[in-house]
Amino acid sequence: MTLLWGFLWGVAAVATIAGGAILGVWWERKVSARIQMRYGPQQIGPFGSLQMIADVPKLLFKEDIVPALADKAIFKYAPLFVFGPVAVSMVVIPFTAGWAPLNTSVGVLFFLAVPSIEVIAILLSAWASHNTLSTLGGLRATAQMISYEVPRSLAVLAIVLLAGSLRPLDVVAAWRWWWMPLTFVAFVIYFVASIAEMNRGPFDIPEAESELVAGYFADYSGMRWASFMMAEYGAMIAASLFGAALFFGGGWPFGGALGVITLIVKAILIMTAIMWVKWTFPRLRQDQLMSFCWKALTPLALVQLVVVGVVLVWL
Amino acid sequence: MAVKREDIITPATVSDEYAPGAKGFLQKVSSLVTGLGITARISTEKPVTIRYPAEKWTVSPRWRGALHLRGVLGRDEIPLIRHASDIYNGVIEDLYKGERLPPCVGNCPANVDARGQGFLVAEDRIPEAYELVRDRNILPGVLGRICHHPCETACRRNFYDEPVAIRPLHRFAYEEFQKVAAERLKPLPITQKQSVAIVGSGPSGLSAAYDLMKAGYRVVMYEREERPGGALNTGVPAYRLPRDVLYSEIDGLVALGLELHCGIEVGKTKPLSALQREHDAVLLAVGLQESRILPIPGHDAEGVIGALEFLWAANHKGETGVRGKRVFVIGGGNVAVDVARCALRTGATEVRLASLESSEELPAHPWEIEEALDEGVIATCSVGPEEVLTEGGNVVGMRVRECLSVFDETGRFAPKFGEGLSDFACDVVVFSIGQAAKLDSLIAGTELLVSGRGQLVVDGTHFTTSAAGVFACGEVVTGPGSAIGSIATGHEAATSILRFLRGESLTEDRTPRPVPVYAKYAVADVSGVERSRRRSIMPMARAEDRAKDFRPVELGLTHQEAMIEAARCLRCQSEICVGCTFCARTCPDYAIQVERVDEPGGRCLTRYDLDLSKCAFCGLCAEQCPTNALTHTGQYELSFFHRDLLIFDKGEMLRSGEGTRATGRDGVMPPGCPVPPRREQ
Repeated sequence: MTLLWGFLWGVAAVATIAGGAILGVWWERKVSARIQMRYGPQQIGPFGSLQMIADVPKLLFKEDIVPALADKAIFKYAPLFVFGPVAVSMVVIPFTAGWAPLNTSVGVLFFLAVPSIEVIAILLSAWASHNTLSTLGGLRATAQMISYEVPRSLAVLAIVLLAGSLRPLDVVAAWRWWWMPLTFVAFVIYFVASIAEMNRGPFDIPEAESELVAGYFADYSGMRWASFMMAEYGAMIAASLFGAALFFGGGWPFGGALGVITLIVKAILIMTAIMWVKWTFPRLRQDQLMSFCWKALTPLALVQLVVVGVVLVWL
Repeated sequence: MAVKREDIITPATVSDEYAPGAKGFLQKVSSLVTGLGITARISTEKPVTIRYPAEKWTVSPRWRGALHLRGVLGRDEIPLIRHASDIYNGVIEDLYKGERLPPCVGNCPANVDARGQGFLVAEDRIPEAYELVRDRNILPGVLGRICHHPCETACRRNFYDEPVAIRPLHRFAYEEFQKVAAERLKPLPITQKQSVAIVGSGPSGLSAAYDLMKAGYRVVMYEREERPGGALNTGVPAYRLPRDVLYSEIDGLVALGLELHCGIEVGKTKPLSALQREHDAVLLAVGLQESRILPIPGHDAEGVIGALEFLWAANHKGETGVRGKRVFVIGGGNVAVDVARCALRTGATEVRLASLESSEELPAHPWEIEEALDEGVIATCSVGPEEVLTEGGNVVGMRVRECLSVFDETGRFAPKFGEGLSDFACDVVVFSIGQAAKLDSLIAGTELLVSGRGQLVVDGTHFTTSAAGVFACGEVVTGPGSAIGSIATGHEAATSILRFLRGESLTEDRTPRPVPVYAKYAVADVSGVERSRRRSIMPMARAEDRAKDFRPVELGLTHQEAMIEAARCLRCQSEICVGCTFCARTCPDYAIQVERVDEPGGRCLTRYDLDLSKCAFCGLCAEQCPTNALTHTGQYELSFFHRDLLIFDKGEMLRSGEGTRATGRDGVMPPGCPVPPRREQ
């Protein structure tokens, strides 16, 4: 029975991520186009909104190329393990007051820990390609994703301290509006670290087209490549939803179905901001990436924790 | 191995300009916020890229490639811009708005269809070319020698090598037309009861007369001089314009039904009020008759003369009284250059051209100045006339003051003079600083008004005067200008007269002439361009020979040269491919192959192949296509089962969205080439 439910939730998560990725790619193309004073997609559907409907079959039917020297088994299935953890992490998001697909007392920890398995899959796929550029990209991704786990977790910890629980539903229930100004720095840290976690610009050093072709998925094509892309958009969706739930009170000020819609709207705003950042700033250098994480974000997150701790005592 | 700090080389583009510590951190944060602000602001602005037109969706076997040819040389004829003068402006504006106006036509004040001329000459239909040009440029043979050719200035070919020789083609068309003039010049039918009198037989009056004659009105023209032509007759030197050309073209107009009366000065021999009674409308195209002379000390001495008087003497008597004398010409315009060159031809020992402007900003056309300098004229730039030095009432020299700048910051005429004075010995001083109208006797006894500065009061857009039924055009309205500019005012005035005679409103639904602005071209690098692709060289008399007499300097193109020259025309904006091969030359991937044959009467694009397997969809070919024949289709997602199908030949490029891939199965065969007509030797 549990297995059946798990299967159903899995299908729902995959569908959510796939649909979100389709809409997300369209929205990203529009946002980036306007930032670059272009129109973006305009031919298919109103405002080009059906562009991805045309692109998905193309990806599905493209030739699936496996390099001759690749470690074939790992190469073929690594994309699934990149995509899987992202889909799984969707399950603990508190969509509205009192309802999350999986209500668990370690939900926040689950959300922070499970997608980290992605790192192993990325490293595997990079290694299996038997390609120096891919391997380099994979190593970079590993270093980056493990480093940014730290400030991201510390930022979320500020909210956990305030709520006094690791259960996402409890966090949403305990949430008060004045948490927003109090944990603003924590949200910024979470926002930046999440971008780095999903390897998006300006933190797309593992992909770095100009140096590494496409980094760890340079040799992938067709649907396998699309899995990487969907994992990126899935991570974006999950991080936006989770951030909106924790830092902006989930469905607050509404409950029920209206709360779900409110959460999604908040998440869309966060996603747009993520795209905005990507299309504004150039890519960081490796040393800038690391010093930013360890010398700026981590100390700031600790300061935020202290501030929250002081406020807790004062309450 | 540890990397030492010194070994890490920071790229030159990356620098740490931020202050250390917390201040630097704040600086970094604020620069991030600034960057986000910039992109947010940009995203609210209107995109600068083009919005591609939505194309109809077609399904697999009917799909075309990413490029399409609208029309092609050898199958389609380019449209000639040929309309009645009263709707011509509207047609030009429509073409301009639809981006179908060729730059040569747009830049010409009279909007002469130079593209159509090129087409007809290349097709060896030269009398038709002459008649097409004559519709808007009443004296193609004359303007073909003296025009300052704004068409060639705007010619798209400037960008690639050298402009098409549009002006020499006018002249060539005239010379060819003279061979068949007798059979092609038949009086135009007079279908209207009303008649129009025109005072002055200059270019503007003649063009208005022709427009009115085409509309079926009787036109009577009066000229003060013994021979017609206005300023072309009295002012333009004969080495630039042989008089027989001028007279024969005007004779052609007389053959078309113009009633021309020479030697009658309206205002003296015949009063203007009589013309107003006899005719339904009167057009004053009297031009400017008086040279301006600066009232500086000594300006009334013996030996000081105005440019118009000087040129009149040179043109009519062939003698200006400067033989063996030193001539000092004041002015830097085209008339001044004409005076200087005429002075050389009438025997002056030394001719000095003194202009207020520096040598870079001389108002005369650069080619005129170059030719004058070749012939031995001395130019003294950046000086202003100070005093005519006299001795016993005779000119002995000229004192000039140095001029620091002519125009102020806003570009207005406001000369600034310095302290430096210099004297030049000379025997004759010619003032060529502008002309003025002389209207007193003309308007005596009428209600026409003259402004305080002696100018006729005229509406500058509709060319009406203060009296109903009296119109004015040409230089008397515009001030000194070009012949083609005068002709343009003649067309406008004719439109006003037509509306007046028909009892219509002069302003209602009337389109002003659109004035497009075209890019100024730098001189193109032609070092890699084949001689056969470049502009035909106009044969010119040697400088040392031509400076002695009034024989023409430019000798004209041969039939063959002219047809080759006309074939150089890119037929801009005609939407019919002319096989210029610029798309093939632009293509970074060598995906396009173009071949063309230039048989007279059988010019044809024999090959246009697009290899889609090489195409990168960059769009450079369509972007630079001068004709706009090559366009994007909006269909980029194309695939085939066979690589051969990726090559689009001429027929496939021309096929519209309908029908299947050009296999001939749908019964549509690719267009062939016309067979050139057999020519009698």
